Amino acid sequence: MVETGHFALVLAFALSLVQTIVPLFGARLNNQRLMAVGGPVAVTGFALTALSFVALASAYANSDFSVASVWENSHSLQPMIYKITGTWGNHEGSMLLWVLILTFFGALVAAFGSNLPATLRANVLAVQGAIGAAFFLFILATSNPFIRLNPAPIEGRDLNPVLQDLGLAIHPPLLYLGYVGFSICFSFSVAALIEGRIDASWARWVRPWTLVAWMFLTGGIAMGSYWAYYELGWGGFWFWDPVENASFMPWLAGTALLHSAIVMEKRSALKIWTLLLAILTFSLSLLGTFLVRSGVLTSVHAFATDPARGVFILCILTLFIGGSLALFALRASRLTAGGLFHPISREGALVLNNLFLTTATATVLVGTLYPLALEALTGDKISVGAPFFDLTFGPLMLPLLVLVPFGPLLAWKRGDIIAASQRLMAAFATALAAMLVTGLFIDGASVFAALGIGLAVWLVAGALTDLAVKSGVGSVAPAVMFRRFAGLPRSVFGTALAHLGLGLTLLGIVATLSFGTEKILTMRAGETVELSGHTLRFVGLYPAQGPNYSEDRGRFELIGISGSPVGEISSAKRFYPVRQTTTTESGIKTLGLSQLYISLGDEAKDGSVVVRLWWKPLVTLIWGGGLVMMAGAAMSLMDRRLRVGAPSRRRKQAEAPAVLP
Amino acid sequence: MLFWVIAAILTLGASLAVLLPLAAGAKGASSSGDHDLEVYRDQLSELDRDAGRGLIQPAEAAEARAEIARRILRLDNADTAGQASAGQASVTVRLVATVAVLAVPLVSWGVYSQIGSPDLPAQPLSARLAKNPADSSVDELVARAEAHLAANPSDGRGWDVLAPVYLRMQRFSDAVAAYRNAIRLDGDSAVRQAGLGEAIAGAAGGIVSADAQDAFEAALKLDPANAKASFYLAVALAQEGRNKEAATAWQAMLGTLPQDSPWRSAVEQALAKSASPEVASGAAAKGPDASDVDAASSLSPQDREAMINTMVAGLDEKLRQNPRDPEGWMRLVRSYVVLGKADQAREALARAIAVFGAGSDEAKKFTAFAASLGLTATE
Repeated sequence: MVETGHFALVLAFALSLVQTIVPLFGARLNNQRLMAVGGPVAVTGFALTALSFVALASAYANSDFSVASVWENSHSLQPMIYKITGTWGNHEGSMLLWVLILTFFGALVAAFGSNLPATLRANVLAVQGAIGAAFFLFILATSNPFIRLNPAPIEGRDLNPVLQDLGLAIHPPLLYLGYVGFSICFSFSVAALIEGRIDASWARWVRPWTLVAWMFLTGGIAMGSYWAYYELGWGGFWFWDPVENASFMPWLAGTALLHSAIVMEKRSALKIWTLLLAILTFSLSLLGTFLVRSGVLTSVHAFATDPARGVFILCILTLFIGGSLALFALRASRLTAGGLFHPISREGALVLNNLFLTTATATVLVGTLYPLALEALTGDKISVGAPFFDLTFGPLMLPLLVLVPFGPLLAWKRGDIIAASQRLMAAFATALAAMLVTGLFIDGASVFAALGIGLAVWLVAGALTDLAVKSGVGSVAPAVMFRRFAGLPRSVFGTALAHLGLGLTLLGIVATLSFGTEKILTMRAGETVELSGHTLRFVGLYPAQGPNYSEDRGRFELIGISGSPVGEISSAKRFYPVRQTTTTESGIKTLGLSQLYISLGDEAKDGSVVVRLWWKPLVTLIWGGGLVMMAGAAMSLMDRRLRVGAPSRRRKQAEAPAVLP
Repeated sequence: MLFWVIAAILTLGASLAVLLPLAAGAKGASSSGDHDLEVYRDQLSELDRDAGRGLIQPAEAAEARAEIARRILRLDNADTAGQASAGQASVTVRLVATVAVLAVPLVSWGVYSQIGSPDLPAQPLSARLAKNPADSSVDELVARAEAHLAANPSDGRGWDVLAPVYLRMQRFSDAVAAYRNAIRLDGDSAVRQAGLGEAIAGAAGGIVSADAQDAFEAALKLDPANAKASFYLAVALAQEGRNKEAATAWQAMLGTLPQDSPWRSAVEQALAKSASPEVASGAAAKGPDASDVDAASSLSPQDREAMINTMVAGLDEKLRQNPRDPEGWMRLVRSYVVLGKADQAREALARAIAVFGAGSDEAKKFTAFAASLGLTATE
């Protein structure tokens, strides 16, 4: 089974080469047969990659330590779920997951792309095949998960304990679906550049892919943030860690792409810019992969530190980013520009959004790469952290967030800013009220808190205003209003939900940062502590034995107003003997939208324990907002507009010219 | 054999995916103009809907309609100009097709023959543990014993049997746990305590720590004649730089050890080492070097030294990644001194001082510590 998987991987590599070359020649020579090869090859390549992945996963599930990667990253005593998720909890396996998703998206284009113009489809598949070929080669040459050990060791070295968590089952697959999803947008862009023309249907094809990729990337980042929050035991949710930035940059650029693709789809404007954004977004995804995988950054994510891999990935980066940008420089002038619009209009608002988002991406990029460049040139090690991003990223986001509610209310081509402002009066009043309430009653000292809460409420109210205005609240009878509301295109709901989610995330961030409280103290069994109106009693430390770890579990009781316990929270320190590592399992109790967070520290000789407590008001909104954004993207995907844009099949066949071999 | 059949079938399938579309008659395809027209029509109807909902002003809507109409006109012009040269059976086409069909089996079998291990069957752990014990390797027998003990963790005799095996396999931390379990379940004994001490020392890269000393002392309390415990306690003295006392202890051992004791040669070697003149660099001889530890071990000296070197290298690597660990640095410096690698010890000391800054408290601590080992920072 293992070797079958290995062989399937090699075969998939061979097919990816065919997929790159044959359709490209087909499109060039305008030969239907050569172009037709792309589809079946892409689907077969995906099937073989899937077979390979299943073979590796089953080796992990069966603890087959004759496979080097299994031996290094698994242990027979691990629970089954971590044995399976361990498949991608290491460099080799995660790269296999990467190409699995890549070939999956390629196969989707092949399967559902029958209504694309033939040459565009062939070129897209060829570019997709080229990305696949590069990564297959990378895997086979430098990070083969199927390297065997003979004789096989009898026990493995265990998975990194920090990764032994359900988060590993969700976070990497979502993130990769996002990263790799943008590869389709990239392939479409490069295909358009190769052809030297952009079909009108181009944007209609690219936008759903952007939406899908953006949706998964949003989920992946939110999940990663929540995972770091509860697993690392620091109570933080975002650290401006280079690896986090690596996933955040494609998200920012992808958000810009999503918006400019709307303009292009609806109004055929911003074509060239959209193309460039698609290339940049995927380039940032590749860069993210490079930063994380090459071991340039030392962190939890760098399971691998091998210079050969770094050089290889660097070559891939140069080839794809440099190649596509060079192609862009050569061909962009041949592409025709599209529809006209006034500065104050929906289009103008989206351009403004793009400017802010790309500038923000650039600041994050600088903050991430500058320390690396400095270290490479001078050998000085510096770290660029929250203070830099607070000063650069923050001020850039502020005006953008203020402007968000205006965008959807402006008309296409020529908008009326005054009318839009009038419609937003109610939202503005709500936000102002929220600011006053925050400033006067909750925390008068913090301007940041009042401003932040006001801005968050402004976003939420603005999103709701958009829906209200479009369904005609206040100007038509309730019955008509409901009919209009139900009849609104799904994409309108998508916009509103995504902007609403943004507001909720902001609300969560501001509330947690401004009103959260923290306490560090030593506690003995039986003692109580109070934090922001919640009383906790430390019941005691209880040793326990897990399948592959031993732990000291600290149990806490939440005391209600009556004095009797109303809930229990437990936090643990786990020791994994195989890796000789200790992890902290934080104890979290969700109360409404807020959370009590307990992290257990070291035990002193006299039996007292260091306990860190946090009260995090509205913290769940941070990730809840992410889920709402995902829902918005899903809503938008269901819009009917995304299903049109191609001639029906019957008509096509009737018109088909006879093609000779 | 089965693998080759599967591989052949997979190759066939993959080749067919390339071959079939090439062999099939080309299906009709629409020109891109049709697609564009459809999109423009849809844009027009959407414009009407947007205008109906007031999302675009009537004047702008008319302008936009004109824009789209212009695009449709341009499309008609382009369409009549294009539409040519659909698929001639040129030489290039045939060449590309042939190469593509051949590439699949050639590339896959070529690459696989270089990197694959076709003869190596899958070895799921459950299958390996189920086979006849007589065919099993030591590792597999240990794994079996582990599985038994995982199911019956209170089998003291099992731990007692397994602990020395772990020790010999250099799985020191497992040996520590096994000895502790054996002592907990089957009671104290000099042999178990001495084994525990040796395991703790092994886990620390051969350094006899306070924990290990406690275990050896417990062993001596139970059996004052336990040679292993006496020997290691003397090693501990030597490692602390109290060479004279260590030599005295070893001398005393020679007086009491029976003539046929396997420990005699170990003690003699250790004595010879401690008595030998100081090495030129002046540093290494202060502490006992690796051979002291080797002499005591039932392992071959080379194995043991290799093992210790690996452990020290591991510690070194760990400190490169996570340098703010004063305890770790002191352990590293000490390990290098013990191994007789004065240069590396000095380099480690310099690195440690660099991490915390030359004037820092830690740096002073390091210098003092190194001096106590007979090592100076700059030489």
